[in-house]
Amino acid sequence: MMVKKKCVAMLLAGGQGSRLQSLTTSIAKPAVPFGGKYRIIDFTLSNCTNSGIDTVGVLTQYQPLVLNSYIGIGSAWDLDRRNGGVTVLPPYTEASGVKWYSGTANAIYHNMKYIEQYNPEYVLILSGDHIYKMDYSKMLDYHIQNEAEATISVVEVPWDEASRFGIMNTNKEYEILEFDEKPAEPKSNLASMGIYIFNWKALKEFLEVDNVNEESSHDFGKDLIPLFLNEDKRLMAYPFDGYWKDVGTVKSLWEANMDLLEENPGLNLFDHSWRIYSRNPNQPPQYISHHAEVKESLVNEGCFIEGKVQNSVIFQGVKTGEGSFIDEAVIMPDAVIGKNAVVKRAIVPENIHVPDGITIEPEDGSSDIILVTDELIAKLRKDVTA
Amino acid sequence: MSRLLGVIDATNVVGGLQDLSLNRSVASIPFAGRYRFVDFILSNMVNSGVESVAIFPKHQYRSLMDHIGSGKNWDLDRKKDGLFFLPPFFEPNENSTVGSFARLEQHLDFFKRSHQDYVFIANSYVITNIDIEEALAEHLIHDHDITELVNHTHSLDMYIVKKSLLIELIEDRKNSQFISVSDVVNQPLHNFKIGTYTHSGYAAIMKTIEAYFHHSMKLLDPVVWNQLFPADRPVFTKVKDEPPTRYTAASTVTNSMIANGAVIEGKVDSSIISRAVKIGRNSHVTNCVIMQKSQIGEGCTLEYVIMDKDVRVLDGVTLKGSPEKPLVLRKGTVRDMAVSI
Repeated sequence: MMVKKKCVAMLLAGGQGSRLQSLTTSIAKPAVPFGGKYRIIDFTLSNCTNSGIDTVGVLTQYQPLVLNSYIGIGSAWDLDRRNGGVTVLPPYTEASGVKWYSGTANAIYHNMKYIEQYNPEYVLILSGDHIYKMDYSKMLDYHIQNEAEATISVVEVPWDEASRFGIMNTNKEYEILEFDEKPAEPKSNLASMGIYIFNWKALKEFLEVDNVNEESSHDFGKDLIPLFLNEDKRLMAYPFDGYWKDVGTVKSLWEANMDLLEENPGLNLFDHSWRIYSRNPNQPPQYISHHAEVKESLVNEGCFIEGKVQNSVIFQGVKTGEGSFIDEAVIMPDAVIGKNAVVKRAIVPENIHVPDGITIEPEDGSSDIILVTDELIAKLRKDVTA
Repeated sequence: MSRLLGVIDATNVVGGLQDLSLNRSVASIPFAGRYRFVDFILSNMVNSGVESVAIFPKHQYRSLMDHIGSGKNWDLDRKKDGLFFLPPFFEPNENSTVGSFARLEQHLDFFKRSHQDYVFIANSYVITNIDIEEALAEHLIHDHDITELVNHTHSLDMYIVKKSLLIELIEDRKNSQFISVSDVVNQPLHNFKIGTYTHSGYAAIMKTIEAYFHHSMKLLDPVVWNQLFPADRPVFTKVKDEPPTRYTAASTVTNSMIANGAVIEGKVDSSIISRAVKIGRNSHVTNCVIMQKSQIGEGCTLEYVIMDKDVRVLDGVTLKGSPEKPLVLRKGTVRDMAVSI
């Protein structure tokens, strides 16, 4: 018999994030490196720990090897607990066949037994795709005070971008009246952050209903929320006004890294009262050489910097050669930048080796961000020798 | 399974390091930006396959216990074997050398109960990256009673001895008058076969502030850095979850070793900067060792300073030591006036 939990978190981490291109060929999006030492999922897991939520189911499906071994038993986030803690929940087979997760709601449906073990009052649904710091316990208090059946965290987005999001139309009291998925003409600019709190009893009932509906895509935004609204359940929007970023594309991933370099960044990594935990690589301090120059950058341990670095985020174990120049770039773990190489406005993924003398930068006037690949480097080398 | 039992004798008083060991044992003196002395020998043992390690602390071992915890960071929180913290029942009167029989005797049961045949005895003030398995192989080939580990002409005050012999030596100490393993090795009159194993890598013997400063500066030599931190023999320490180091537009850093969580807004040259240190604008830090969480205000000038943890230097203060005699600022102090030696 498990000890009853007030609130259990379910973290959806099975997505591919195909718009991140080669970064997610062999790892799931939540495992993509971010911010010089983290992986995207660290933010959500740290939020759970810092909010006092100690029972977290992590639903994996796409390329789970790195993610599974990264999460381990959850000790990095203090989630190795006797009662609860972190549990990785991959799809499984049962007598009737293999049950792949066909949608976000379907993934939860297949893991109802996991949730039932803890007999919770509330279930918090999270996604491992976003960069933000949020106290879920405050959202839960809000949910309880408003006597809602479901509460959806929302953030104000610029009006001209609202049609890219799931938009909540609410009254003055933030009670949700309508949900518009990517509306052509948005009536509100309150975008869903993909963070939901449900009364477990109600969610369970609706998951059963949704599961037998053959028309349904079994998605929280598209199917479950409309189902709640149709049944006149009380749904509340929880307005969040901190930094929140979906890092679903190469450009937005790059931007979110650059945001950390501002003088007063929207997301403060140096706040000791809300630490972002991660699995520590355990490398010696970084060495900045005689000829190096480092400005407006974040640099992690284990780096050996001999060139010039500015406006960049450098992950652990990176080596940069003499005469190299890195500007507005994100250099992921253990990448090597050769002597006199130039890398501008680019993301260099893990273990990539940029050879001596190679220049990687977008064409003049282009606002593109280059995602460096082995193929690109092979092409540039050919150009140099040609 | 390793045949070696690891023993860290952290009971020795190192008088020359008093300024840094007022509130802590020598084993927990910070070094190289993010480590404590003990991390090196502990990691050496773990990397050499040693599965059972006993630490014998002296007084003021709170900071050491806090650092080591269950041994988890060194993969030593094991069901079988693992880390053993063996504090004194009482402090023996005599001041001993490494491998103090009076201290080991208090936990003789530990040696009798353990299944390993050989004991590797180390101290807490030598920093190196060494393969102890290799030393054991030499010990066995030459059939020594005790093997002393040396580096060039210096003893590393580390020894390998057969466990049964160690137990005999401890039980017979009142009769033999030997006070420690080190004492046996250094006494001329006995019938034991003493040999040496030469470790050719970099070794820092930290018995004085001058040695501490010298070896800290040597870390900036990539040859030394690579010998102390080879990728295949990592040095483990307590994890702190600090973010990456932040360099601002005003920062200028050259020839320095910088740990995570630091915020550098000033000029740093030829220095070791530890975790979560803050260096303000227009401050110049040259040839310094700045320890964890110390804060240097704006417009300060620091040369040849060893700054212990949690020191605050207020804006505009100049502090200067010399290469021969670095200025040591004790833990937790606040500096608002210039000092030069």
